Amino acid sequence: MAKVTREMVEKAGLNVDEIIELLVKNAGAELTTYYYYTILRANLIGLQGEGIKEIAETARIEDRNHFEAIVPRIYELGGKLPEHMKDFHDVSACPPAALPKDPTDVMAILKVLVEAERCAVRGYTHICNITAGKDHRTYDLALSILNEEIEHESWFSEFLGEGPSGHFLRRGETSPFVGKFLK
Amino acid sequence: MKEFTKEELKEHDGREGRKAYVACDGFIYDVTDSFLWKDGKHQVTHHAGEDLTNELDEAPHGIDFLKRFPVVGRLKK
Repeated sequence: MAKVTREMVEKAGLNVDEIIELLVKNAGAELTTYYYYTILRANLIGLQGEGIKEIAETARIEDRNHFEAIVPRIYELGGKLPEHMKDFHDVSACPPAALPKDPTDVMAILKVLVEAERCAVRGYTHICNITAGKDHRTYDLALSILNEEIEHESWFSEFLGEGPSGHFLRRGETSPFVGKFLK
Repeated sequence: MKEFTKEELKEHDGREGRKAYVACDGFIYDVTDSFLWKDGKHQVTHHAGEDLTNELDEAPHGIDFLKRFPVVGRLKK
C-alpha cells in the first residue's frame, strides 16, 4: 500500500474502500470482457462477421490493457484482487458479454459488444464523477479508460446502424490513452 | 398497488436473500434479479431499500433503466 497516497484520498473526503471496491469490480469487468470477447471474436466469421472482427480484437486487447492498468491502483490504495477467479468474475461491474444463443447472428453479437461498452462507459463516468478533483490518479486512470471505452462504443454503434461516430479504427499501437499507465 | 413506508422499503435491502427494492419518483422497483444489483448494491455507492430519486439525477443513466424492472408498489409520502 502507498500510505500517503491513501491518506491524500481520505483527506479529500473520499471513502477509499468504496473506491477500491469500484476498481476491483471494474477490473473484474475488464478481464471477464477480455475472456468473453475472445469467444465473440472467434465467432465473428463470414461476410458480415469478418468486417467486425478487427475492431472486436482491438477492443479485446484494450480491455485487457485496462485490467493491467487498474490493478496497480487497487494495491496502491491498500486493496487487493479476490483470491479466486470465480469470485472475481462474480463481482464484475458489468454483466457477462456472453455469446448469443445463435452464434451466427452477427447483429446479436454486435448488440452484446455495444452493451458491454456502454456498461463500461457508465461505470467509468461514475468513477470520474466521484474522484474528480479529489483522487487525481484514479481520476486520470478512469478518464483514460473512459476515452477508449467511448471509442469502442462508437465503433460498434456504427455497425449497428446508429449513425456515424466520427471515429476511425486504431492506426498503430493499441491503448493510446491508457498506454501511459502500462509503461 | 401496494404502498410502502420508507421503513418497509428499507427491509428490502437485497442482503442475505432478501428482495432488493429501490424507489424513484414515488414508484418502487424490484431489482432483485439484476446482475447489477447483486447483494443489494449497485456500482458500490447505491443501496437497495432506499429512495434513489435524487441519486439518479447524478447517475450516468436515466430512469429508463429502472423502468425495465417490475413495479411492485408506491412509496408513501
